[in-house]
Parts: sequence; C-alpha cells; structure tokens
Amino acid sequence: MTTAGSTAVKDAGMYKRSTRPAPPPRNNFERAAWMYMRYSGLVLVFLALSHWGLQHIFNSVQDLTLQSTVNRWGVTGQVANFQIWFWRAYYGLLLGLAMLHGLNGLRQVAYDYMHFRPLYWGFMGLSTLLIIAVSVAGIAALLLGVNIAAAGGAVVR
Amino acid sequence: MGTLFTTVRDTLRYKGREGQWLWVLHRISGLGILFYLILHVYDMSLAYFNVPVHEQMIALFKTPLFSVLELALAVLLIFHAVNGVRVALLDLRPELWAKQQLATRLALIITVVIAAPTIIIMIIYTINAHLGPVATTIAR
Repeated sequence: MTTAGSTAVKDAGMYKRSTRPAPPPRNNFERAAWMYMRYSGLVLVFLALSHWGLQHIFNSVQDLTLQSTVNRWGVTGQVANFQIWFWRAYYGLLLGLAMLHGLNGLRQVAYDYMHFRPLYWGFMGLSTLLIIAVSVAGIAALLLGVNIAAAGGAVVR
Repeated sequence: MGTLFTTVRDTLRYKGREGQWLWVLHRISGLGILFYLILHVYDMSLAYFNVPVHEQMIALFKTPLFSVLELALAVLLIFHAVNGVRVALLDLRPELWAKQQLATRLALIITVVIAAPTIIIMIIYTINAHLGPVATTIAR
C-alpha cells in the first residue's frame, strides 16, 4: 500500500526519504493552518508590500496627516463611494489576512518555547483576545470613517 | 528563563547553515511585524474612536527614534516577504527541494536588492524632514 506522503519526495534528488508509509494526518486543524500560512503569505506579499510602498516610498510618513486618512476612509456619516469601498476592501483584506497569519505564527513560536502548558495557554488566550479586539476596532473604524467632529484642525471631505 | 538560555545556546550550536539562519530570522521578523501590526491597527482605529490620541501617535511616528525603527521594520517586512515566498514555493513544489541552497542564497540577495534602495529613499525622506532638504544642505 502506498501513500501520497512518502512518494511525493521520491524525485527530490539528494533528499532520500524512508519508504515507510507516512502516518495518516492526526490533526486537520494543523494541516489547515499550514496551508493557510502558505497561501495567505503569497497574497500578503502583494498586499503588504504595496501598502508599504504607498505609505513609505511613494509617500512619506513625515507627510501623513488626518487629511490623508480622510481621503481614503471618508468621514463619519458620509455615504461611501466606489473609491472608499475600494480602500475598505484593500485594508480590510490586508488586516484580516495579516492578523490571522500573525496569530498563527505567534502560536507556532509560543508552542515551541513555552513548555509550561498553562503559560502557553494563558499567553495565547490573552494574545488571541488582544488581536481580535484590535482587529474588530480597526475594521469598525474603517467602516465608520474618520471622526472629524472630534478633530482639532480643518479637514476637507 | 532556562528555556530562553537553552534556545539561544542550541540555536548557536546547531549547524543548519543558511537555511537555519533564515528560519531564525523568519521567526524574529514575523514577531516584530506582528508587534507593529497590532500597534498600527490600534493607532489607526483611533482615527474614529479617539482622534486627539490618534494624532499624537502619528506625531510620535514622525520623531527621529521612530524613523530609525521604520527603517528596521522595512528590512524585516521585505525579508519576511521574500523568504516567505521561498518557503511557500518550496513547500508546495517538492521537485524544487534539490535547489534548497540556491533558494536560500537567492532569498538573501533579493532581500538586499529590494531593501537597499528602499532604505536610501526612506533615509532621504527622514533627513529632509528632520534636517531640512538634502539639496539645500549639499548646496551649502
């Protein structure tokens, strides 16, 4: 009986593997997490690097004002046009994929080094709560727009 | 604390060559990026929830200290992206496994090729903002 796991590496040249059949996967969550890291990573390369390029190369952090955020998010109470929906989709996707990618990366690192399990579970519980809270706040702000009523300076829609 | 010591000592002892060091750097850069990501999304959410604090944080990000951290973040992000592509491509395509060493070197080279001009542009922006336009300084 052959399994896909042991034959996939047959032609990898110098890397000879045992012909013993690979054990069936124990945990589908780990498989899904492994796949997620690869595929979300490939998408994030484009999203994160384009975001970085726009904010730090084509523009400078030094020129960042509340106005630049208003130009993309709109202001609170404004009806969103196509442009605002484009930025919502771009930032929302980037935020969601990156936070989940980061959370799973953190889990892998914490699992490797926090051998005292209550410490690991406590740390990951708090980290997960923090990441969910910050993500929800970020997406809420994205949908609600810049609150210019609370802003000091003049901002144009 | 014992775990930390063992981790550092065994990381230094293990002779995994380039691949091991890229693995270590991938973890460190990932943690650094996640830390900034959380800070950044929190800061941006304050554009709705607390505009005065949001503007204070933006002002903080423009200080010289944060300009230096921004350079570090650029290198971490570019490295994590390039090395991540290497990991994903090799994991998803086992027929490329015979070229692991070439891939690790390519990842480092591509990181440097992208990061070097990025850093130069960012340094020029920073100098312009903190010390006046570079052109003016050179003209004197």
